Amino acid sequence: MIAVLGLVAGVIVGLFVQPSVPPAVVPYLPIAVVAALDAVFGGVRAMLDGIFDDKVFVVSFLSNVVVAALIVFLGDQLGVGSQLSTGVVVVLGIRIFSNAAAIRRHVFRA
Amino acid sequence: MTLLTTMMDQSLDEGYAAAARARGEVGRRRLPTTTRGKLLLGAGLAMAAVVVTISGVNAHDARPELAKEHDALVQRVTDATAAADKLQHQVESARAQVDAEQQKALHDGVDSGLASLDAAVGTGAVTGPGVKLVIDDPADAGTGGGIDPRTSGGFSGGRLRDRDLQLVVNGLWQAGAEAVAVNGQRLTALSPIRAAGDAILVDNRPLVPPYTVLAIGDEKVLPAAFQESMGGHYLKLLQDSYGIRANLSGQHALSLPAAVGFALRLASPLPDTPGTGAPSAQPSGAPATSTPLSPSASPSPSPTSGTPAPSRPSRTGASKS
Repeated sequence: MIAVLGLVAGVIVGLFVQPSVPPAVVPYLPIAVVAALDAVFGGVRAMLDGIFDDKVFVVSFLSNVVVAALIVFLGDQLGVGSQLSTGVVVVLGIRIFSNAAAIRRHVFRA
Repeated sequence: MTLLTTMMDQSLDEGYAAAARARGEVGRRRLPTTTRGKLLLGAGLAMAAVVVTISGVNAHDARPELAKEHDALVQRVTDATAAADKLQHQVESARAQVDAEQQKALHDGVDSGLASLDAAVGTGAVTGPGVKLVIDDPADAGTGGGIDPRTSGGFSGGRLRDRDLQLVVNGLWQAGAEAVAVNGQRLTALSPIRAAGDAILVDNRPLVPPYTVLAIGDEKVLPAAFQESMGGHYLKLLQDSYGIRANLSGQHALSLPAAVGFALRLASPLPDTPGTGAPSAQPSGAPATSTPLSPSASPSPSPTSGTPAPSRPSRTGASKS
């Protein structure tokens, strides 16, 4: 219940508060989205595996976002920002896919 | 390969397994049961939702941003054009003032020479008989197409370019035109006909097809002479080969405006040679040929026309605006 409330509250906050994103942060938003999705899928899979841990979920989410943004920031400073963000997206995308596959196995037994 | 395998195998954060091992419970705990755990899960999901939503909103706003930018650019172009038009009006009124002052300062006799000079150079509006030549792109020429059919090998149609207009205008001068204006832009000796992208610029002002070329000259002689000239032959070729539409018609009365941006920056006239009364730097309106224009004070006929009086441009600029 609280989890659903949190989800709804997050969507509402994002929609209505419309926090003005500083231009310096804008390039990292897509990476943050992919990292967040990775954390959410990982959490769902862990839940289905029966090993969910709330602390791990929150910490992995935060660290995912921060590390992904940091890697891309570093890449920007080195002049390979787009390549590195591609790398981050590929790695996180593969993780999302395999987590989704695990969730699918749990749910559909197939 | 190892990297990929690792990535595929360890898709789940190892922290979950480690935490479960630490608690010694595997495969039982599904959702947090304590209030603190529920709050943490809710907070994490809220953060994820915020990030995703903000990003979505941002991406959604980016499109109107582009449109806004485009609108702002269009607005700037419109503003600049309006400002240029205003400046042009200022130039015209200032020129009228200068003309009036000149009239006052100069005494009769000299003035007629000045008026005909103005008309010949292009800084004075003129009226007289002449021809109206309307040139348009072929009907099938796309308005925004970037590919020129003439360079891509197709002979079905084409588009009038600046070089074509140059040749046509030069043909008109050659045929005895005394004053020429293209889409309301009076040509002087300093008027460039250039291209910027697909647009033709006359006096650095972009033109929109159809191109209306007004030329003052003998309405009976000028059309035939034009068709015999280089420019006329060239235009015929354009019509036959590329489908350029052109319509040449004689007009009894045409009135051509004065040129706007006519100013000599570096050239200065030589001291008057006695007897002529005209500056020796001959102000010729024709870049290609100077025969049609005779800026002397006497109403001399143009070489191709035998009638002196009707074909000579008369001046209306000073009374305008």
